[in-house]
Amino acid sequence: MEGIRKQIGRRTLLKASGFVAASGALGSLWALVAGGGSSASARKRARWIRVVSRPTLGETTADYKRFSGNDIFTIYRQLKDQRDGAGSFEAEQASKTKRLAAWMNEKKPGYSLPDRQLSEGAFTVMHSAKPGTGLLAWTRTSVRTPEELATPRYTASPDEMAKTVKAAARLYGAGLVGIAPMNEAYVNLRVPHRAQPRKDQPDKDASQKNQPPMVQRPEGVHAGGEPGKDQPQTVQPPQDKEIVFEDTDVPAVTDTKFVIPRKMKWVVAIAIPMDLDLLSRAPTALGDTAAALGYSHSAFVVASLAVFIRGLGYEAIPCVNDTAQSIPFAVDAGIGELSRLNKLVTPEFGAGVRLCKVFTDMPMAYDKPVDFGLVEFCKTCKKCAEACPSRALSFEDEPSFKTRGPWNNPGHKAWFEDSYKCYQYWQKTGTGCGICLASCPYTKGDQAWIHEAVKATASIAPATDGVFRAMDDAFGYGKQRDLEQWWTKDRSGRRG
Amino acid sequence: MTNATDVFTITIRRRPWWFWGLAGLWLLLVVLILQTAFASVRESEYRAATISWIATAVLVGIGVFAWLCRGRSRRLNASSDRF
Repeated sequence: MEGIRKQIGRRTLLKASGFVAASGALGSLWALVAGGGSSASARKRARWIRVVSRPTLGETTADYKRFSGNDIFTIYRQLKDQRDGAGSFEAEQASKTKRLAAWMNEKKPGYSLPDRQLSEGAFTVMHSAKPGTGLLAWTRTSVRTPEELATPRYTASPDEMAKTVKAAARLYGAGLVGIAPMNEAYVNLRVPHRAQPRKDQPDKDASQKNQPPMVQRPEGVHAGGEPGKDQPQTVQPPQDKEIVFEDTDVPAVTDTKFVIPRKMKWVVAIAIPMDLDLLSRAPTALGDTAAALGYSHSAFVVASLAVFIRGLGYEAIPCVNDTAQSIPFAVDAGIGELSRLNKLVTPEFGAGVRLCKVFTDMPMAYDKPVDFGLVEFCKTCKKCAEACPSRALSFEDEPSFKTRGPWNNPGHKAWFEDSYKCYQYWQKTGTGCGICLASCPYTKGDQAWIHEAVKATASIAPATDGVFRAMDDAFGYGKQRDLEQWWTKDRSGRRG
Repeated sequence: MTNATDVFTITIRRRPWWFWGLAGLWLLLVVLILQTAFASVRESEYRAATISWIATAVLVGIGVFAWLCRGRSRRLNASSDRF
């Protein structure tokens, strides 16, 4: 015993204690920086994400009106013909189709047949998701209601109800979930006919109908398709349907309108993280796959959540890009802040998210907007605007009320973008783009502690924003990754 | 060779508080930058990983250099004490 005591000694014990204490301190520091685990799977958000009473950007004024519902495809086509003459749109599409075919034949990296079909495969679920039908049905389809199960519908405190719905949404695949109050001004005026299922072929898959892929996609969804064929307007008269609010008990889709019951005062706003490894390969068919997969995940999540809510005894309307503006609901629900991209940037996934939402009459506690220093960061950074090949993003120091085209909704402050230029660039690449999403310094993986530390520091010390932007460049973030390497990358052991 | 009559004096000095502070900071930086390096490889951010590896190597080098310098000065002090 005496020998052991001599061997260990007080000094050694002190050293060991010091080492243990230092490790503990290091661990604590880590937890503090990371905000107690702010990874995608964690429920509690980092401490540097402050809850605020009003959105930092995007708050609406009395001038804010319901948006027409026209997607950028429709607007671009109209403007293209106005600016460059009738038939210029068709000519551009034909040229794009030829170019894409040539790239495919010469196996251009990012545009080969497997690259292209990877995107089409990823879009499969979304192909069958049209507003008001199938996955996105506005009324009960499969689930048995509590009434049918001879049990009262689920009731609890608003906080508990919100927790229940958020837990379910996360299980189905949501990265971030928040509850916002219904704001009728965010709901589109109508559902364009191109976003609706065709009457003669209500729920069939696009490939079975020989329908061009772009026609099947919801508004705001790009396609690497064969747009030369995408001319449904020429064969079908417009059948836009109005979206109206009425004092009814259940949502309805009629021949002329989509009816949202006024009692639906809750919106579950959801962000679906996109695959960063694919997004970093934009603008190619591979980069497109990140968006396609995001849309399919979105459709699955909102469809599943709507069924879950109906099963609890309430009404639910699942929406992806359709029916309403997702961004303002997501801002109000505290999922992220409006950025220089004029899109949502979240603290956890940056701009690499797809948004979707579920309207419901299930009473839940509302979330509040957040402030993590993004607007101040955007004022200094401008990396997305510099990275944008079409110069569609604003370089202004301050956001303003000045819109840049019919695709923008006036009545709120923002860094408005030129979607015409943006979409024009899509025609050159033959796919969607996404460079701005990938280049945002907030769009990062969740492996390295330094990302959390930088975001945490930027949230409290805007003076460091310029340094962090410079560091982001120096570390080589936001650049397009090797296109061919994606197919040979070892994915064994990777989840999902 | 030493004689039985030789007298040696061993001076034990406490390291100043700032030494421990610097050593702790050094260790913390090495751990954090090393984590960044490994994480950057996992995130396929190869340039960030390279920079982190280099930063780790430089930090470890500085630590080793400081340790060697301190060892040298200790030996020199011991020599000067002897003479």
